[in-house]
Amino acid sequence: MLSRAVRPALNAGAAASVRPVAPNAASYATLREIEQRLKSIKNIEKITKTMKIVASTKLNRAQRAMTESRSYGETSNTVFEKAETKPIEGEDKKTLIIVASSDKGLCGGIHSGLTRATRRMLEKKPNSDLVVLGEKCKAQLSRSSAKNIRLSFAGVGKDVPTFADAQAIADQVSLLPTDYGDVQIMYNKFINATSYEATPIEAFSEEAIANSPQFAQFEIDDEVLANLREYALANSLYWALAEGHACEQSARRNAMDNASKNAGDMINKFQILYNRTRQAVITGELVEIITGASASEE
Amino acid sequence: MAFAWKASGLTYNRYLAVAARVVRRSLKEQPRLQAERRGEMELRFAKWESGKQGENKSLAEVNAADMAEHAGKE
Repeated sequence: MLSRAVRPALNAGAAASVRPVAPNAASYATLREIEQRLKSIKNIEKITKTMKIVASTKLNRAQRAMTESRSYGETSNTVFEKAETKPIEGEDKKTLIIVASSDKGLCGGIHSGLTRATRRMLEKKPNSDLVVLGEKCKAQLSRSSAKNIRLSFAGVGKDVPTFADAQAIADQVSLLPTDYGDVQIMYNKFINATSYEATPIEAFSEEAIANSPQFAQFEIDDEVLANLREYALANSLYWALAEGHACEQSARRNAMDNASKNAGDMINKFQILYNRTRQAVITGELVEIITGASASEE
Repeated sequence: MAFAWKASGLTYNRYLAVAARVVRRSLKEQPRLQAERRGEMELRFAKWESGKQGENKSLAEVNAADMAEHAGKE
């Protein structure tokens, strides 16, 4: 009789709070629920702390690779600076935008920052083509501008990017059928440990290099020019990949640091709540026992 | 100036990669293992046609195939 009467109420309660609560032990159940929440938050804190430590260790290596690759890329671009190379401006020339992100998330907003910067660029030059490195930006850009994407690469950012990665990507990019007026490589510039900025690096087409005003100062044969261009593209890509990787690790470290802090706050809050509830339950039980005892005495 | 590697369809980057691999392989055992890790490349890529992603393929294989195809043209 009783169980049948209780059941509809129980069902309603289960539907409302997802977790079914036995009606006769309501106070114990909430206590247990709080305990469970507390436990799961503690686990999450452990995970985020570990991820933070992993990211910090990786960050050191990534930063070293970044400083090396930056000087490498800058040296490679000195030629174009001295030759005063400018991208060709023209209606019929298309622009290729290479977005250097990575496969992994859990690192704050650096991927979406890159995507936003790319979208802004696409608004200015709506018929440019995209080459996307990394799954994260691919997912974001395929929603807004899938039509512009020509190539996408996966497997970026597992480890510190190697020059072989950059070379293979540069090869596939230079095999694209369209002739591009200029190539922009979008990457996250590492300003300091907490701030990054999506920045483009310029990589030039053969025509742009050949038309640069100070080009005559260098002795470059026409046949070698294509090689120079491919090699410069690989250099710039390597630079962008390495710097982007360092930014990602540092962003992940910060994100995990914040997550651990938040988890710590929540643990404190829940610990206090848990203690209070436990006390209330004990007091309630004591009251019940005492009233029961005094009632049976009389 | 004609290059033998250009005639066989290699790009300059590919030529460099092959040269680098040869140098790495000729190192002594200990430094070789370290150096060879720098030459690894496990990227996968996909071509996109009018907003649709194509098949995911290994970049190394496709690059090799594309260059073999390129070989006769120059």
